Amino acid sequence: MRAELRELWRFRELLWTMIERELRIRYKNSVLGFFWSLLNPLVTVLVMTVVFKYLIGNPTPNFSAYILAAYLPFMFFQFAILDSAQSVLVALPVVKKVYFPREILPLATILSNFVHFLLALGVFFAYLLVIWVLNPGESPFNVTIAFLPGLLIINLALAVGCGLLVSSLNTFYEDIKYVVSVGLYLMFFLCPIMYFSENVRYSKQLGESGDLIYTLYHFNPLAMLSTAYRKVLLDPQQVYVDGQLVEPLPLDWTWVGVSAGVSVLILVGGYALFNRLKWKFVERP
Amino acid sequence: MSPPILEVRGLEKEFQLSHSGAGSLKTMLLWWNRRTVERLAVLRGIDLTVMPGECVALVGRNGAGKSTLLSLLARIYKPTRGTIEVRGRMAPLLELGAGFHPDLTGYENVVFNGVVLGLTRAEVRARMDQIVAFAELERHIDAPVRTYSSGMMARLGFSVAVHVDADILIVDEVLAVGDYAFEQKCYERIESFRQAGGTILFVSHQLDSVLRVADRCVWLKDGLIHASGKPEEIVEQYRMDAT
Repeated sequence: MRAELRELWRFRELLWTMIERELRIRYKNSVLGFFWSLLNPLVTVLVMTVVFKYLIGNPTPNFSAYILAAYLPFMFFQFAILDSAQSVLVALPVVKKVYFPREILPLATILSNFVHFLLALGVFFAYLLVIWVLNPGESPFNVTIAFLPGLLIINLALAVGCGLLVSSLNTFYEDIKYVVSVGLYLMFFLCPIMYFSENVRYSKQLGESGDLIYTLYHFNPLAMLSTAYRKVLLDPQQVYVDGQLVEPLPLDWTWVGVSAGVSVLILVGGYALFNRLKWKFVERP
Repeated sequence: MSPPILEVRGLEKEFQLSHSGAGSLKTMLLWWNRRTVERLAVLRGIDLTVMPGECVALVGRNGAGKSTLLSLLARIYKPTRGTIEVRGRMAPLLELGAGFHPDLTGYENVVFNGVVLGLTRAEVRARMDQIVAFAELERHIDAPVRTYSSGMMARLGFSVAVHVDADILIVDEVLAVGDYAFEQKCYERIESFRQAGGTILFVSHQLDSVLRVADRCVWLKDGLIHASGKPEEIVEQYRMDAT
């Protein structure tokens, strides 16, 4: 693996060029390219806010900000995985004619999605600022934002690991991407995006087993990351569970550590699998 | 005497032929017991040494393993057995304009292609004028490549490859694209590349061009080197064999 990393480093210039190229293609055909791509999350959040606040009657204040804080990272993960699944397959004609470390293909898609995610986070902060200006009160920006880079690194490691895994497998079995997109759809509900992790902990339906399920639930690094992004980016606030508001749970750093561990394992495993399979890409039946 | 720039020893390459064409998980699960795997040995032990400044032509019938050999040198495949040692920068031209993205402009594609061939972006930009002038595409360089004709694409691809200062050019039957005038220009460029001490390894079915540029001709037959030597002699034997 060290030899492979050294080779990758030798080709870093190509990686930067590919990331630049992906972003260029993505935003190419319109000046508003970046803003068009924000339309989806903003509309989703708007719809969710309307449904939960006015139709279901969830009185959690500033609900939209909490949805956005968890949905933007999830969207990054989702698009990074779906795009990277196709990355090698789409580039196969090039792969058959030119040598470069093959991992550059999924890496470039994931990293360009990551750049896009960082820009979207910028918009998120602008959104907080607008809310603050319209509705002056306590500053919505917390010191805990200092932990954000750490979360971003864990999130990126997880995305790269899964992306390498999926892209190498999808090159041989083209229907993997359908399985993956169904998996991501389920993942959306398995992460605290439309609800809070406190809902899982305190749910009356779960009763006694709530504690156990809460623990199992957080083995999923993506679920833990969603919670962590919320707690780091925004003020902890009371959560509406079964008709009453409950106190928020503090962010458990042990679980963030577990997520980091799981992410690194997936990263190393994904890269190892990719390296085993990458020479076979051109010889696929 | 300087060491060889390219050394190939005992090179073998086998491919797996699949008749089921398992391209999806579904097919694999449904037909897992009907999978038939057949091995096809394309190269069966090649030894080849190329000295700096040499121009070696590969000839042989379709399926003799010429393109496989070049692809192995270009590191597209991993050898089944044997070793390849290259001392210097290699620019493989297995297909002109490989990796061009239709929606990007010629300029952006040149940068990308140059970086793939081992330059930095700054180096490519510094050579941009030369590259564009050689390809005679000054008026089109800012247009998306999808608007190019196949000849224009090929000219741009060739122009990038010869401007990256490679030590070895690996060319697979690609000079037969542009018009006559451009072909002449390519030969001139190859000649000056050789005078500067560059090494060339190429595959061609045009025996006239083999006679014109090569110092040595290698005849591949059924994955083995059948004969090797002066182009005139080998080409003569190869012609006799074919008729």
